[in-house]
Order: sequence, then structure tokens, then C-alpha cells
Amino acid sequence: MATQGINFQNLSLKDALDLAVLIEEEARDRYLELAEQLETHHTPEAAVFFRKMVRVEEIHRSQLDKRRHELFGDMPMTVTRAMIFDIEAPEYDEARADMSVQAALQASMRSEKKAHDFFARALPEVRDEAVKALFSELRDEELEHQRWVQLELDRAPGEPNPAFDDSDEPVAL
Amino acid sequence: MTALATLPPAQFKSELKPIWCPGCGDYGVVQAIYRALSAIGRPPHEIAFISGIGCSSRIPGYTTAYGFNTVHGRALPIAQGLKLANPDLLVLVAGGDGDGFSIGGGHVPHAIRRNLDLTYIVMDNQVYGLTKGQLSPTSPKGLKTVTSAYGSLESPINPLLQVLSCGAGFVAQSTPADMPGLAAVIEEAIRYPGFSFVNVQSPCVTFGEEDQQVKAHKGRMQSLASKGHDPADYLKALELATHYGVELYTGVFYRNPNPPATYDAQVRERQAELQKTAVPRERILEMFQKG
Ligand SMILES: Cc1ncc(C[n+]2csc(CCOP(=O)(O)OP(=O)(O)O)c2C)c(N)n1
Ligand code: SF4
Ligand SMILES: [Mg+2]
Repeated sequence: MATQGINFQNLSLKDALDLAVLIEEEARDRYLELAEQLETHHTPEAAVFFRKMVRVEEIHRSQLDKRRHELFGDMPMTVTRAMIFDIEAPEYDEARADMSVQAALQASMRSEKKAHDFFARALPEVRDEAVKALFSELRDEELEHQRWVQLELDRAPGEPNPAFDDSDEPVAL
Repeated sequence: MTALATLPPAQFKSELKPIWCPGCGDYGVVQAIYRALSAIGRPPHEIAFISGIGCSSRIPGYTTAYGFNTVHGRALPIAQGLKLANPDLLVLVAGGDGDGFSIGGGHVPHAIRRNLDLTYIVMDNQVYGLTKGQLSPTSPKGLKTVTSAYGSLESPINPLLQVLSCGAGFVAQSTPADMPGLAAVIEEAIRYPGFSFVNVQSPCVTFGEEDQQVKAHKGRMQSLASKGHDPADYLKALELATHYGVELYTGVFYRNPNPPATYDAQVRERQAELQKTAVPRERILEMFQKG
């Protein structure tokens, strides 16, 4: 998870909404890529879950996009996908041929946690009150998503793959 | 906010679906290439992407640039010919550690000393991925593979040290564990006017070692910038490169502060010079006629 060229201190509500839309779009596209990879590599159950996530992320994206257009109409975007790296999108490294549904759900849980951390870490830098309110709302929504994934996890059959434990990522030097 | 890139990264993504194993590091590399190309701003039809053979060499097909998935180990000679024939093209070359440093190893020093304006990206996974996990020239000593059941007795080559000692003007290393860093060094390599080399430690999830995976990289990688390395310092770059295989340094090892003229630029210059005294085309026949 990383960003490039975003100045949170000067972020306007329009840019913040556009970023939120792009974050959901990135996640949607990544889930689709991972689902296609797993379908090619004969891992249909986990692929079905990733396809479900494509629909979930698209719903989130379109809701945010609607809000953006209600507030700012067709004013041009001044943020791009090149500014965000894997904010809510699972990293490519998360997929494995033969991964279980449990492992796919755990990958999704890590992504929801990443997204929560993104908004939580950005918030202290944000100055604009409306952006603060939006980011707080989105941070809390990510907690809601985590609860939903946890419910799915509790119901999911099978064991997680050993390679997909939920331990914290090592910290880069 | 900064100005929008004219060509978004998605513009460089082709319709062809990658068939790499899920989790392969090469997925990160191709993403980083889309981003670097978007930042460069040249449209896909002005870019040619040449590769050899291997899992990693499939990469041109996943971009919208012109691509040629050539012959094992021969990406560099073909790319050099292409750059000479059409110097206006932005030419990227890519392949694996096997493609570049065993079967194609003989081409590397010559491409470097000629110094054409090319960017060579090696996806170094320390194994032959496509042919199912045999030893490669960068496999660590002691590695057990299908061709080294009791552990490899060979010492690996050091790609960074090799290209630096041959005189490459730009040498960098990265990993998909650091996506912004990977995209940034690829962009910088493309911008360097001359032969540039990027060694990407791109994990093979199917045949690679556990300590060579993205998760392990995240814990091990150390950026050269954070170590205060000055990329203009050639001798320090050589020293840092000796740690290949032990430390995972990321970023730019060396950038020649005074890039010499490229071979392609010199060829163009010579062509222009010779053109001045050249016999006009319509008079060439006269040279062979008697009297
Ligand atoms: C002339 C020739 N010799 C051998 C091969 C078989 N072969 C195909 S790919 C490959 C090695 C691939 O390893 P690497 O270049 O590291 O790429 P990776 O698959 O690891 O990305 C070999 C030996 C070939 N295709 N052509
Ligand atoms: S075999 Fe290794 S290098 Fe080849 S696609 Fe699979 S993970 Fe990638
Ligand atoms: Mg290889």
C-alpha cells in the first residue's frame, strides 16, 4: 500500500471523493484479475469469492461516484490511478493456485485492514473539515467491511492454506 | 494536485490475459511498467518491447506496445538491431535471469559497450521458471532443484556487478515488494540516455525459495537512498553490488553523471556526415559504367 504525489493537507473534497472512487475501482479491477487467474489455474471456489468481491467493490465505487457527481457534476478529475498503489486492492502476491476459500477471505480481510489503515493514517494530515468527515466515514466503513468478511470467514468451509497466515507484514527498512 | 498524466497506466495494458502462476512476481513488474510508461508519456505505438523466452519473457504480450517474444537469449541483439533501424522508437528489453545471464550472457557486455539507448529489465527469480525449476545462473550455491538434487555446487553470477564492470551507465535494482520504488526505477532507467539495466528480484512462487518471496522481501529490502548512497559514486556502487544475494538493496546503484553519446546517436551523426559527400542515388549507376 502506498501513494504518490498526494498532498493530504491541501486535499479538496472533490479530489478526496475522486481518490475514494479510484481506490474502489483499483480494488474491483484487482479482484477481477485475481478471479481470472484462479479460473485459469483451476481454483474455482476461491475465484467465485473474488468475483463476489468484484461486485461488492463496484457497488462501493458507484455509490461514491454518484455522490461525487451530485456535488461536483462533470468537473474534471485532477487525481489519477497512478497516485495510488494497492490501497484496498489485494496485492498480486495474495493469490495462489489451489488456494482455499478461507485463504481468499483472509486475503480480502488483509485488504480491508489496509484500506482502514490508509484512511486512519491520512486523517491526522487532512485540514479540510469536509474531507476529514469523509475520510472518517470511509475509515469506519472499512471496519464494517471487516466485520462482514469475518462473518463470511466463520461460515467458510475448509482450512486456510498454511502460507496465508494472518501474521503482521514484516516492516521494510 | 499535480497535472494529470496524458496516458493513464491502463492504456498500456493489453487484452491478453497473463497466464503466469497466481502470485508470480512478474505481475508486479508489468504493473510497474504500465506506470512508468504512463509517466514517460510516449504512446504505445512509439514503444517496442523485445523479450527472449521464459515466463518473464511473456511480458511484451501483456502491454499495448509493439512486442516481439523472440528466441531464448537473443532479446538484446534483436533490440539493438531494431533501435538502429528505427532510433525514434523507445525500446524496452526484458527477460529472465536464465535468458539474460546464461544462454544470452554473451550479448550483455557487447550491448553495454555499444551503449544503445535501451532499457533492459531482468526478472531475476534465481531459477528457470518456464521449464519447471532448474538451476539458473543466479541460483544460490547449495540450492536444491530438479537439476541439483543434492544442492548446487556452483556459485551464482552477480548481475549487478557484471553490468557495472562492463560500463553500464545506469544500474538499478528493485522488487515488486516495493511497487512505487519499482515503477520509479523503471521510469528513471527509461529516461537515462543510454544503456540502462534494472534487475528486478521477481519471486517465482512455484519454484522459488521461501526467503525470495514478496513477504520476505518486505522485511529484507533496504533502499540505497536511505543509506545515503550517491548514485554518481561508481566505486561505491561496485562495493554495494558485491552484496548481491546477501542484502536486498533497492534503488539506483549507478547513474553516470556524464552520459556519453549513444551508439545510435553516433550512427545517425556519421550517416549525416557521409551523406554530405555521398554520390546522389541517381548517379550510383554511373560509377559502374565504363568511360
Ligand atoms: C535455445 C533454447 N534452449 C533452451 C530452451 C528452453 N528454455 C525455455 S525458457 C528457459 C529458461 C527460462 O528461465 P529464465 O530465463 O530465468 O526465465 P523465467 O522462466 O524464470 O522467467 C529454457 C532453458 C529454449 N526455449 N531455447
Ligand atoms: S513458474 Fe514461477 S516464474 Fe513462471 S509464472 Fe509461475 S511463478 Fe512465475
Ligand atoms: Mg528465471
